[in-house]
Amino acid sequence: MSASDWIELSVAMLILIGTIFNFISAIGFIRLPDVYNRAHALAKSTTLGVLFALLGAFFFFLFLEGYFSIKLFLGIFFVFLTSPVSSHMICRSAYRAQVPLADISVRDDLEEPIKAPSRSI
Amino acid sequence: MSKQVLINLFIGFLWMFLQDDWSVLTFAVGYLFGLLVLFILRRFFNDKFYIFTINAIINLTLIFMYELFVSAILVMRKILARRIDIKPGIIAMETSLESDLEVTLLALLVTLTPGSVVMEVSEDNNILYTHIMDIPELSFAVNKSKVRFEKAIKKVTRP
Amino acid sequence: MIQWILTFSLIFITLSILAIIYRLVVGPTASERVQALDVLGTTIIAGIAIFSVLLRTTAFFEVALLIGILSFIGTIALARYIERGIVIERK
Repeated sequence: MSASDWIELSVAMLILIGTIFNFISAIGFIRLPDVYNRAHALAKSTTLGVLFALLGAFFFFLFLEGYFSIKLFLGIFFVFLTSPVSSHMICRSAYRAQVPLADISVRDDLEEPIKAPSRSI
Repeated sequence: MSKQVLINLFIGFLWMFLQDDWSVLTFAVGYLFGLLVLFILRRFFNDKFYIFTINAIINLTLIFMYELFVSAILVMRKILARRIDIKPGIIAMETSLESDLEVTLLALLVTLTPGSVVMEVSEDNNILYTHIMDIPELSFAVNKSKVRFEKAIKKVTRP
Repeated sequence: MIQWILTFSLIFITLSILAIIYRLVVGPTASERVQALDVLGTTIIAGIAIFSVLLRTTAFFEVALLIGILSFIGTIALARYIERGIVIERK
C-alpha cells in the first residue's frame, strides 16, 4: 500500500469513529428519560461526532487534493461554540416552562430561587 | 494586549524597511526581534507580556479538549449500559469569578465537563445552577474540574 | 475500501437521523422537539462532510456552514419562544 492509501484509510476511520459517536448519542436520545438528561447527550457526543467527521474531511482535502479549506475549520469552530449555548438555552427554557424533571431525580436546588418573590435569577 | 501586538507589528515592518527586503521571511525575523524587544521592555507596560496571555489561552484550550473527550466517553458509557441507572438532579455551584466574560467562559466549559449542563446563572454572577447526570458519582468530579477551569480562566483574564 | 467505510458511515448517520425523527414525533413536550431539531442540524453537517469526501468535491462546504448557522439561530429563537411566548422583545 502506498502513502496515499494509508491516508485515505485513516481519514475513513476518523469519519467512521465520528459517525459512531453520533449514533450512540442518538441512541441516548431515545433511551434517556427527560429533556435535561438528553441535553448531556446533545452537548457532548454530538459535538465530538461532528468534530471527528469534519476533521476527517479536512485532512482528506488537505493531504490528497492539496486544498486548505478554511470553511471546514470555521464549521468546527462554530459547532464548538454553539452547541453548549443551544443546550443551555433549551434547558433553561424547559425549566421555566415547567417541564418536570424525571422521577429518578434526587435533588433540585433551583426550585426555590425561581419561585421566590424577589427573583434573584 | 492589543497595544503590544501593534508595537510588535510595527517593529516587524520597521525591520523590513531597514533591510529593504520585502519578503515574508524578513518580516518574520523582524517580528521575532520585536518579541525580544518587548520582552526586555515588559515591565514598562501596564498589563503582562502578551505571549504569556496567548500561552494561557492555549493551556485553556488543551484542558477543554481533554475534558470534552473524558465527558463524552463517560456519557456514552452511561447511555450504553444495559439498564439506565442514574440519579440526576440540579445543584447550585458557587463561583469566585466576577466579570461577564469570565462567567460565560466558565459556563461554556462546565457544560462540556462530565455530565453537567449549566441551566441558570444568578443575577449577581455568583451561583451556577447545574444539572448533573449522576449526583453520587459525579458531583465531586464536577467541582474539581470547576476549580481547575477557574484557575485557568483567571490566568487569561487577570493581569 | 474507502468507499465501503464511507457508505457504512452514511448508514450510521441515517440510523441516527431516524432515531432523532422518532423523538421529534413522539417527544411529549415542545422542548424535546426543539432539541431534536437542533441535533438534526448537527447530524446533517456530519452527513454533508461525508458526502463531500465520497464525491471528492468541495462545493458543499457552504451548505454545511449555512445549516449550522441557521439551526443555531432557529434553536435560540424557539427556546426564547418557549420561555417567554415571544421571540423579539419590544421595550
